[in-house]
Amino acid sequence: MSDLKITGLHKYYGAFHAVKGIDLEVPSGEFTVLVGPSGCGKSTLLRTIAGLEEASDGVIEIGNKDVTWARPRDRDIAMVFQNYALYPYMNVFENIAFGLRARKIAPAEINSRVKRAADMLGIGALLQRLPRELSGGQRQRVAIGRAIVRDARLFLFDEPLSNLDAQLRDDMRVEIKRLHQELKRTMIYVTHDQIEAMTLADRIVLLRDGRIEQLGAPLDLFERPAGLFVAGFLGSPKMNFLPATLAGSSAVLSDGTKLVLPRKHGGKNGQAIILGIRPQHIALSGKKPMLGHAQLKVTTELVQPTGSRVHVTFPLGGKTVVADFEFHAVSKPGEKISIDIDMTRAIIFDPQSETVI
Amino acid sequence: MAATTALHAHPDRNFRYWLLTPAIFLLLLVGLFPLFYSLVVSFMRIDMMDTDTSFAGLYNYAHLFSDKRLWAALAHTLLITVIALPVELLLGLAMAYVFLEKMPGRQIFISLLVLPTIISPVVAGATWRLLFDNRFGPINQVLGWFAGHPVTALWTINPKLVYPAIIFCEIWQWTPFMFLILLAALSNVDKSQTEAAEIDGAGFFRTFWRIVLPAIWPVMAIAILIRGLDLVRIFDIIWALTAGGPGTMTETISVYAYSQGFKQFETSYTAAIAFLVIIILTVVVTWAVRRMGLAK
Amino acid sequence: MRNIPLHRRKEVRLGFRYVLACLLVLVFVFPVYWLFIISFKTPDEIFAFPPVWYPKSIQFSNYFVLFKDGDAQTVLNSLILATTSTFFAMILGTIAAYSLVRFKTGGENLAVWIISQRMMPPVAIVFPVFLLYVFFGWVDTFFGLILLYTAFNLPYVIWMMRGYIEDIPLELEESALVDGCSRWEVLWKVVMPMARSGLFATAVFTFVFAWNEFLFALVLTRTEVTTYTVQVTHYFGGQSNFWAKIAAMSVLGTIPVFFAVATMQRYLVRGISMGAVKG
Repeated sequence: MSDLKITGLHKYYGAFHAVKGIDLEVPSGEFTVLVGPSGCGKSTLLRTIAGLEEASDGVIEIGNKDVTWARPRDRDIAMVFQNYALYPYMNVFENIAFGLRARKIAPAEINSRVKRAADMLGIGALLQRLPRELSGGQRQRVAIGRAIVRDARLFLFDEPLSNLDAQLRDDMRVEIKRLHQELKRTMIYVTHDQIEAMTLADRIVLLRDGRIEQLGAPLDLFERPAGLFVAGFLGSPKMNFLPATLAGSSAVLSDGTKLVLPRKHGGKNGQAIILGIRPQHIALSGKKPMLGHAQLKVTTELVQPTGSRVHVTFPLGGKTVVADFEFHAVSKPGEKISIDIDMTRAIIFDPQSETVI
Repeated sequence: MAATTALHAHPDRNFRYWLLTPAIFLLLLVGLFPLFYSLVVSFMRIDMMDTDTSFAGLYNYAHLFSDKRLWAALAHTLLITVIALPVELLLGLAMAYVFLEKMPGRQIFISLLVLPTIISPVVAGATWRLLFDNRFGPINQVLGWFAGHPVTALWTINPKLVYPAIIFCEIWQWTPFMFLILLAALSNVDKSQTEAAEIDGAGFFRTFWRIVLPAIWPVMAIAILIRGLDLVRIFDIIWALTAGGPGTMTETISVYAYSQGFKQFETSYTAAIAFLVIIILTVVVTWAVRRMGLAK
Repeated sequence: MRNIPLHRRKEVRLGFRYVLACLLVLVFVFPVYWLFIISFKTPDEIFAFPPVWYPKSIQFSNYFVLFKDGDAQTVLNSLILATTSTFFAMILGTIAAYSLVRFKTGGENLAVWIISQRMMPPVAIVFPVFLLYVFFGWVDTFFGLILLYTAFNLPYVIWMMRGYIEDIPLELEESALVDGCSRWEVLWKVVMPMARSGLFATAVFTFVFAWNEFLFALVLTRTEVTTYTVQVTHYFGGQSNFWAKIAAMSVLGTIPVFFAVATMQRYLVRGISMGAVKG
């Protein structure tokens, strides 16, 4: 059974075509993340699902009911907003109870549901406070509490963590994940942050320019991107893209470096390609390479320690390549090092169609 | 695609119009309807004697040009405006500078200074009527101290003094308005800019002209516009102070239109005057808005 | 001045500003003082030469006369007219402003047309309005004047409330819509409470405008709903023997305005500058 089904959805703002024909089905209980660069239409899509924007064309069904033209309040949804959207003149209790009161639920029932939601989020002690007396993280908890107390069929999150600082964002991410496991509700979550997308999602919907670029489980998208855009969008540091030419079962870089491609591919001999290598698949090595691995000598340019790992850049094939090494593997820029590239996980793209070959 | 949109209208599609309907209805009733009525009537000949509703062409409009009393009234209005407006502006600005920096009790001073602006113009006129009294008013009394002999000036009757009387009252009532707005505007000027100019050796007037004035101009322009419009339609103060007298000496355009309508019952002619006023105001306001750079 | 130390120069300047401030207050407040003082004087004191600068005792007899003659009724009339018309103007104006802001109804043109209604000289419409009112029998009725004052203050209310509503985050309304409110409920439960200080400030100004209005009241009232401003001018009889009544009536009409404005000091500038300066 699916909680949300979108068919042929379009959204125009005057002449601007923001959503260009989206088909999407979200099974019950799934955590779906809509992710993409700014302006890709992910927020518009979410707001259209919520009924805050009118669909220009297409059908939206929530719980097998056509709600394309229904008011937001008749869609059985709850939503968490980016700037919390707390009513400043109401205390925490009233804020959480607002939606229940609007739906004329009995006071005793409201009381117990607000208490339960507040305890679940660890804000039970703050019920009498006003929003301005809360920290950013507490406000976001109240905003989430206001949504979960509603017990709706569909929960929508519109970049809820983007206003929090890095530490708090990590904590809240864990919290949201935990809530989903506890409530087992269908959640749709919009973010531009690929780490949030990777960590939270059961399934990622990657949007680009008003269309779905690829959708699937986070690791599927990471390991088997459909094209250059998805490969480049997911993963940090970004995947390295090296222009090359196919020569038999090898890729020849512009500086003549030859890298053997152990996996099967559909490319023709002499075809121009783009070779994609994740920084994590490059290791420091002095040993003999394993099967399917390539070994090269390079000179380091930049060394950026991140704490647990170190990002090292070096020139290769006319490009600057980033490698993600274990910490204290390399200490100095300008050092000659020997690297090991896991070519079994390299991906080759067609530069014209930007798809995987 | 068009078919789906037409079949399903959004349930709240007309909400926005419901919200506006009562307000627009009232504005049309007391704004547009009278204008339309005036326009129709101004092409007829309706007065106290006669109700001739046939089309009279531009008869009333032609009459406007030969009506000396009308042009005198326009001149009176202009005279009051061109004297009172700059004085209010400059005095208000100077006062704003006195109170710009913090000083103990500043808020109390400001609150007291605002009093004249918030009272009814009729009450202001009445108050000055009492102040200007030739025998028992304090103004002549104080003037007497300086002159060394009793002064018995007839402020609201003497043709030489009646304009100063009106303008004094007008300035007294509305300078605080300018003061308050300009004080707020000056307080919002970025202090680092004026300080930088002072460090660069710019004097007060140079700093004001180059930095402060451009910064406060948008607000100042709106204040001038609001006051200018009020001055052009000045009625209450005149009515309370002189009622247009002595004779028709201080009759402004509003006072004249009132007397044509409600004393002479020149229905059609009053309508023509109203249109003349609206046309003049529209032209002046449009020009002023462009000139002052207020158009968005 | 150059050889005087900096802190001394600051003190001198502060002293100078104080002197100026006191002079200004003297000039601008004296007329109001005079008005108040006359209303508490005995006839002998009012018509004394030289003038009596402060009365020996506070007399309320001038006010008793107003109440005894029933003239004080005009203050009550003003109160009824101003409060009722303010109430309606606030409700109709605020929902109209909300439509302009949230749905961009009519675009910028409609907003400009509405504010241009405020620029309209009253004298240009008062005569046709008078004829309309004669036709409908609305002259000298509360209904007629309330209708007129409501309509006349609408542009101001719409213009001001537009500014205050623009300051409300859209998310709050959207959240309420999702949570189960209808459009109307969003308006009453979210927009109105969020704009309440703006509502209050605008209401006070609207009240003051209606309270101080003169021309329409002069034309459209006779005996039943005479306002205090019209009543004040009734005492201008040529001679000055109604001084006490003029003063007492003016004071009665001024005190409510003092209180009204004193309650909203913070919004004063935004209110009188028609939103050009945001406090």
